[in-house]
Amino acid sequence: MYLELIDVLISGLTNGSVYALMAAGLTLVYGVSKAFNFAYGSFFSLGGYIAWMLMAVFGTAKGYFFVFILSVPLLLLIGYGVERIIVSPLRKRQDWEVKVMMVTLGLALLLDNSFQVVFGARMKSLPPIMEGALTINDVIVSYQDMAIFILSIASILCFRWMLNNTRLGMAARAVAQNPAGAQIVGIPQNIIFASTFAVSTAMVGVGGILLSQKYFISPADGWDILVKAWVITAFGGMGSIRGSLYAAFILGMLEACVGWLFGMSWILVANFAVLVTTLAIRPQGLFGKWG
Amino acid sequence: MLKLKNVTKKFGELIAVNNLSFQVEKGRIFGIAGPNGAGKSTVYNLITGMYSCLGRIEFEGHDITGAPPHKIARLGISRTFQIPHIFPSMSVEQSIGVGNRFGAGGRYEPGYVNNIISILNLETVRHQGAGELNLLGKKKLMMGAALATRPKILLLDEPMAGSNTTEIMALMELIRKINKDMGISIIIIEHFMKVLTELTDTLLIIEAGTEICCGDPEKVTSNPIVIETYLGEAYAQSNQS
Repeated sequence: MYLELIDVLISGLTNGSVYALMAAGLTLVYGVSKAFNFAYGSFFSLGGYIAWMLMAVFGTAKGYFFVFILSVPLLLLIGYGVERIIVSPLRKRQDWEVKVMMVTLGLALLLDNSFQVVFGARMKSLPPIMEGALTINDVIVSYQDMAIFILSIASILCFRWMLNNTRLGMAARAVAQNPAGAQIVGIPQNIIFASTFAVSTAMVGVGGILLSQKYFISPADGWDILVKAWVITAFGGMGSIRGSLYAAFILGMLEACVGWLFGMSWILVANFAVLVTTLAIRPQGLFGKWG
Repeated sequence: MLKLKNVTKKFGELIAVNNLSFQVEKGRIFGIAGPNGAGKSTVYNLITGMYSCLGRIEFEGHDITGAPPHKIARLGISRTFQIPHIFPSMSVEQSIGVGNRFGAGGRYEPGYVNNIISILNLETVRHQGAGELNLLGKKKLMMGAALATRPKILLLDEPMAGSNTTEIMALMELIRKINKDMGISIIIIEHFMKVLTELTDTLLIIEAGTEICCGDPEKVTSNPIVIETYLGEAYAQSNQS
């Protein structure tokens, strides 16, 4: 019982750290551009498939080094391109928020079906980033879980550093807080929208690479991730990165506990229960603000 | 320096700015006044690229009609808004730093930022969150972020609104300082006619987006059409007495 509980906590922490990374990316885009990206989950699958292809090319021994070196710039480029080509032209139109939802929904369906055509419907798996486990007083922690946790936290710290210390980060914060004020001090709003979209694509793609080692990659995986990311974002407070980080770990733990106590099929139910309860009691989320 | 030629802006059937032309000379203070809804702020939105328009807007010989707001800011045109537009979670220093990083200078100059903070008397609150400032503090901060972009011309939108007499005097002194000491041309929208007549070199009165009168502030404020459409008889009588 005690060892099982420890396992559950480790699983909750590991998943929570990856969810935190993915939810922070979604919060970034929503906070800066107020765009609701339905294709976010498909970028998770895209990250997994890119990693799978690179692993096939470079082999498992040195594969992950090249996976991260090559996939992050590629994901950034794809995210930037998608925003500039598909999302950006819609901003000048009336009700652009709804149009962005529809277009990204279409993109998600296109990507998911393309994955099925190109990679087939069968699930793909990635080898663990590290083999073996650490044993302390009968408690076994796999190096894979530790690596996923450390890489997720390192990515979140890089993201925080980027927000606080770079021109892009400062511009993103300014646009998120006051779009008109940001423009009149010389910040190119459209470039910031595209850049933050690119960063968020890379974040969820890296999440896909990390979680695809523990689970599998399949064409429709993204929908589950999209739901989780939005539940976390709403739970933490729309547009609040700090809120999304707290919410991700709480949800990660809750998922692990629910899966352990009631079975995996109850996890989605638990996610929605959290969302409904949050909206009923504190609609602005943990750290969200009105207005 | 800044020229508007036959500028028109329509929102559907509504003509917000109607065939408006004026020019602002370098180093001068230019005032704009008119009733609420006359299109004064819309003129700022057209100059700064927030809205598209018909006609032509030139700045230092360049056609800036339809240029995006960030490019116009980098050319040296900056503005403030009626309601302070600030970055609430940033400190005063960071907010001014944003203007400095992305404005006409294009890089962060700590000395220049310090100078702006000093000119605006914001030293005591430089590390305070922008969202925690009072209305006057927020107005000064917005002005500071605009000045930090190293503008050649600064567009002020009702800077005196909501201020008491002492604050108005201090703001007038500040505007003179920005104009004379920093060599920045200024356009000011204001409802306080005393402020406009004391500060400006040229005054433009508009109503329904159309020019009513433009010229020397004293002459403009004694123009019968301006008195009838905007100032009212009470203003004219109080001015005579």
